[in-house]
Amino acid sequence: MAIYLDHNATTPLDPRVLDAMLPWMQGAHGNPSSVHRPGREARAALDRARMQVAALVNAQPTQVIFTGGGTEADNLALKGVCGGTPRGRILVSAIEHAAVLGPAEDLTRQGWQVQRLPVDADGLLDFSGLQKMLADDVRLVSVMLANNETGVIQDVKAVCECIRRYGVLLHTDAIQAAGKLPVDFVALGADLMSLSAHKLSGPRGVGALIVDRRVDLAPQITGGGQEHGLRGGTENLAGIIGFGKAAELAHLELDRRSRHLRGLRDQLEARLKSMPGIRIFAARAERLPNTVQIGVAGFDGEMAVMELDKRGIAVSSGSACHSGSGQPSHVLLAMGMDAVQARTAVRISFGMDNSAHDVEALLAALAAVTAKRAGALALA
Amino acid sequence: MNHKVIYLDYAATTPVDPRVAEKMAGCLTCEGMFANPASAHAPGRAARGAVEQARNQVAALVGAEPGEIIFTSGATESDNLAIKGAMHFYQGKGRHLVTSRIEHKAVLDTCKQLERDGFEVTWLKPDPDGLIQPSMIEQALRPDTVLVSIMHVNNEIGTLNDIAAIGRITRERGVLFHVDAAQSAGKLPIDLKTLRVDLMSFSGHKVYGPKGIGALYVRREPRVQLDPLIHGGGHEHGLRSGTLATHQIVGMGAAFDLARQELAQEAPRLRALRERLWQALHAAIPQALLNGHPSQRVCGILNVAFPGIEGESLLFACEALAVSSGSACTSADRQPSFVLRALGRDDQLAGSSIRFSVGRFSIAAEVDTAASIVSEEYRRLLDLAPTG
Amino acid sequence: MPASATEYSATVWTHFRSPCNAGEFPAGTAGVLGGEAGARQRGRAVAFQLQVNADGRVADCRYRVYGCPATIALCSLTSEALKGRPLAAASAFSVVALAEQLGLPAAKRSAALTVEDAIRSAAGRYNSPGWLPLAAAELTHRA
Repeated sequence: MAIYLDHNATTPLDPRVLDAMLPWMQGAHGNPSSVHRPGREARAALDRARMQVAALVNAQPTQVIFTGGGTEADNLALKGVCGGTPRGRILVSAIEHAAVLGPAEDLTRQGWQVQRLPVDADGLLDFSGLQKMLADDVRLVSVMLANNETGVIQDVKAVCECIRRYGVLLHTDAIQAAGKLPVDFVALGADLMSLSAHKLSGPRGVGALIVDRRVDLAPQITGGGQEHGLRGGTENLAGIIGFGKAAELAHLELDRRSRHLRGLRDQLEARLKSMPGIRIFAARAERLPNTVQIGVAGFDGEMAVMELDKRGIAVSSGSACHSGSGQPSHVLLAMGMDAVQARTAVRISFGMDNSAHDVEALLAALAAVTAKRAGALALA
Repeated sequence: MNHKVIYLDYAATTPVDPRVAEKMAGCLTCEGMFANPASAHAPGRAARGAVEQARNQVAALVGAEPGEIIFTSGATESDNLAIKGAMHFYQGKGRHLVTSRIEHKAVLDTCKQLERDGFEVTWLKPDPDGLIQPSMIEQALRPDTVLVSIMHVNNEIGTLNDIAAIGRITRERGVLFHVDAAQSAGKLPIDLKTLRVDLMSFSGHKVYGPKGIGALYVRREPRVQLDPLIHGGGHEHGLRSGTLATHQIVGMGAAFDLARQELAQEAPRLRALRERLWQALHAAIPQALLNGHPSQRVCGILNVAFPGIEGESLLFACEALAVSSGSACTSADRQPSFVLRALGRDDQLAGSSIRFSVGRFSIAAEVDTAASIVSEEYRRLLDLAPTG
Repeated sequence: MPASATEYSATVWTHFRSPCNAGEFPAGTAGVLGGEAGARQRGRAVAFQLQVNADGRVADCRYRVYGCPATIALCSLTSEALKGRPLAAASAFSVVALAEQLGLPAAKRSAALTVEDAIRSAAGRYNSPGWLPLAAAELTHRA
């Protein structure tokens, strides 16, 4: 079986989460909107999960809107805030996930003006750039807490302080950060925050938008009045309960997880530094404890992914959504890399199921792949 | 979960079939096909294979091509995507759509939102049997009509609309036809090769699959285009972004596959159970009234009005049964069902109506017990009530 | 539906399932005052009967009720609570306060008011011509 080092794409489900979900996948089957006993039991389980998710990010249970995933949460945040009139400006960081850039792009068709906030060579938000763009006509700023490709962590709290006096709302995509870093909705000062279950050992197909109740949010999926009328549709009960359990475990085990992941990352980075032609991206910035993005000089990242795959190592060149597109990463381009350099990217993202042995296996495979390449070049 | 409760609310949601749950559990943990189907590596490819197999299974139940099936988070999202997506994409052609007053909330609320956004909606009233007649559609069409959205089977009363006839009209007039088939898929044969339907919504959890997964059929020939609702990574041909939930999709695929295999035996069995329940209720309570057309209906749903008593009390008195009330219990002050009101039932009758829905795990003994509980409690409450 | 409206307490539940003193006194029973409130069209209707002694106390009660479980349970509990009370106290009995003690949601306040109205309507017939309390009525019969 492959050694899986692509946890930023998705994580395997924690067996304890599966145990929590199984009763709801099998026997228990109430619709939480029904008044009869199975329905009421479903409702109680739903409320418990809401508390668990809220606790992970220090939010109130009433601030949690469950969605069909992180992408939907990002869409709801942007389109839910920026519907109707008067239209204004939206500032999004240039390194946002497609789930933020996509709806932002869609809003431009409806007359909203979207501007991209620049980042520096380390992938950190350029605050002077932000300040220049701020004015009263800005409705929303969206800056992700941690980047999915490079792992770079943004100072969202500082962004918040910077924009406050303009009365601008702040959305932060915390999908990669939650479960890997302490995330505090209140302390960050954000108005909206997106979360996803499957990035923290929960199931896919469920996410949440945390919304401060002062925010006037327009629902994007209507019908049935679930989630305070902000997201229609029969609740994905097993998924939500799995999300709750995964959030609870992530909350309890955050320190242990972060130590384990950081240990693997440091082990890998220490060894990579002695390998010729390998560069660690955003090396100076504060990053997620589990993420290392590297460039292998003269080596196409997608090719490297395929070569490693043949050797039983699953990594990615960047965002899973973009795999196979052949396009260089917009994140790396925004950091000032040229297309050739950006195409060398390989992302390694660790999870709790990885060990020091996996790091060694990766290093051996990487050495073999680069040696093969060097040999091929020498022959040519 | 209390096992003494007799579950007769299969139209609200169905339990996941154990055969489906088993397949789902294999797509979640380290040992299984857990990877992101969009990933290029071997685990990703394995997950992608499982997703495509499920797409084939869903398509096979309804006579669609796999490429015409878009996975969503549920029938509500499918309805939203179909209606908002079509109305926005084809705005240049017109801004009028036709639907009925007894659609599912997912359609009603979506059309109401479009109305607020400046679109025009014609709300058809059903006939006293709860049916939307093709002639009503014909009369409602206008040159600027873009879309007709009519449900296949009504979720409250189980009546069955003639979507074949409606589709012939809409196709001839160059209007798109969306059908919410959440209540009919797996219960009636559906063949999208012969039906002139352009968009059709499906739900996983009404067919013994998981909650939180659905699908939208989007016709390729002639091609139907939609504005997406959720933007991002460009999944599902760009129509629905978001990481695919492999276990959910595999569950829905397995559920639709089972439904296809068992439909021919299961539908007559459910129809017999429904008839048995109605006969028993009607024999014990001659005043009881059947809501909706007596024969043009889906096999599993029975909706009955019980005159002379108050609905919430009847529902609570029958606590041993998991059934749905004729009222939409959205607030402490109960709103009488808009479907039953549209059929011409007064507030009292609408309020004292109960929907019974039988399904795969229902047996005759449960139906018999349910009939005797309801009749006993009905008589008790009737005795309690003041005369006149 | 909010759980609060469906989660009735054990007491409410018991009195809904097995209401005490339900029904009505046989026609011609002595000392009975009857009153009605509410309407079926509005979702609840209550007909309450008080049987009053010569000393002006409630000897027994009966009622008929059409309504939600809370209305039925309130009729039952109130019918027990009124026994032995002077008629004036019965008339002043706060079903609303009882409903609050039982933890019924605020939306059920109107149920309590309907029961109160029916009792007051019954008590208000105390001075109607021709009506006699239980003991006096029995005396009349004997005479």
